[in-house]
Amino acid sequence: MSKQLIYLLLSLIVLINFSSCKQKQGETNYSDEFKIPDSVLTQGELEISEEAMEDIIENVSSPVEIAALIKSVGVPYSKEYLATTDYVDNYNTNFKQALGLGIFGADLGYQNMYNKTGSVIDYISAIKTLADELHVGQFFDFTTLKRLATNNQNLDSLMYISVQNFNQMDRYLSENNRRNLSTLIVAGIWIESMYLIGEVAKSSPNPELSEKIGEQKIILGSLMLLLKNYERDPKFKELIDELTEIQEIYKEVTITYEKGEPEAIEEDGMLVIKQNDKQFIEISNETLIKIIDKTVEVRNKIIQM
Amino acid sequence: MRKLNIIFTLIAFTLILATQKSFAQSGQELLDICNMVAGEATYLKDFQIKLDEAKPGEEPPAARHSLVLSKNTQYRFSICNSKDYAGEAIIQIYDNNRLVGTNHMVATGKTYPNFDFKCSSAGVYHIFINFKEGKQGMAVVQLSYVDRF
Repeated sequence: MSKQLIYLLLSLIVLINFSSCKQKQGETNYSDEFKIPDSVLTQGELEISEEAMEDIIENVSSPVEIAALIKSVGVPYSKEYLATTDYVDNYNTNFKQALGLGIFGADLGYQNMYNKTGSVIDYISAIKTLADELHVGQFFDFTTLKRLATNNQNLDSLMYISVQNFNQMDRYLSENNRRNLSTLIVAGIWIESMYLIGEVAKSSPNPELSEKIGEQKIILGSLMLLLKNYERDPKFKELIDELTEIQEIYKEVTITYEKGEPEAIEEDGMLVIKQNDKQFIEISNETLIKIIDKTVEVRNKIIQM
Repeated sequence: MRKLNIIFTLIAFTLILATQKSFAQSGQELLDICNMVAGEATYLKDFQIKLDEAKPGEEPPAARHSLVLSKNTQYRFSICNSKDYAGEAIIQIYDNNRLVGTNHMVATGKTYPNFDFKCSSAGVYHIFINFKEGKQGMAVVQLSYVDRF
């Protein structure tokens, strides 16, 4: 009798443990794990609806695309362009940490694109530090990324995991009433990506790079809408004022369209859709330099703060 | 004693059933599959969608997202449907109110598990995802960067 009871109880313990493992391996309910300081919660009502915010937050292009463009025009990698990780401890407020996370994230994308795993570890470590400070470190798979970078293996996975981790952090912050921080991460990514492409365009002028910078007029418009929701915060106000100066210069950039009919073709069993619209982006060299110089000023102010 | 054994067996069986859900495909598993399906393309973003079955006489539920796509860039949309649901995801890309891309060809009735979109105009695009015939479904849609053209 007692033997049978022990056996049955053991079975139950194993089953209960098994079901709790499920929670660990699957989707952990992180919202219960961390208490969010009041200082990082949204203050007051948003000026545009949550639904509209959700639409816009996805409206910022990935640093991967900019890094891919820089590489595709044949410009060699340069460590000189990157923000230093030496003073990561100076990012000592949520505001600075979120912006820094975006900046280092863009730099990580640039290095990944060139397979520069040697210097990647410093950036992964800095990102982990900042993510932990913002209580989103659980989404950054530091161990796996460090292993991939150290062994210089499976570099596609390094890119996949790091970009996915950033998306998870962004999603978590947005869903947990900390959209102000995810907006700052997005702003950091955009500013650093603009800085990278601007520096490259200055040293190796190229029409594709100029056009890409001109195209950012559309993205900056979305970013400003996001940031302006928090302009009551003096730090946000300061950043908005800086970016408004860039937006003012962008008024000199003209974007026109000619609509075409999309066409669908099948290539080797894969469906390919060609949009066939035409878009003309006009940006003068003078405007280009003004945008680049102002971006450098804004970015350097952030990394020296 | 025999009764006690039956009771414990029933409890154990109930617990086993309760844990069955852990074997259902998770969003992360679907995303990993999608990333393999995307091949050489570089992962940019993913949308995880779970929608209920359409109610009689009502429009099928749809998920909506918006994103910026760049000029002269080829993107890949890969769709991975959960095997735990009957729904097959259909994506539609809109530029304002104009349909510019989809994985479902009305003329042939064919639904593709992935497709490439050659974007020639930078801007904000809206993507709508629903499940064919309004069935209940769960899917991951992955957006990847293929190349510039």
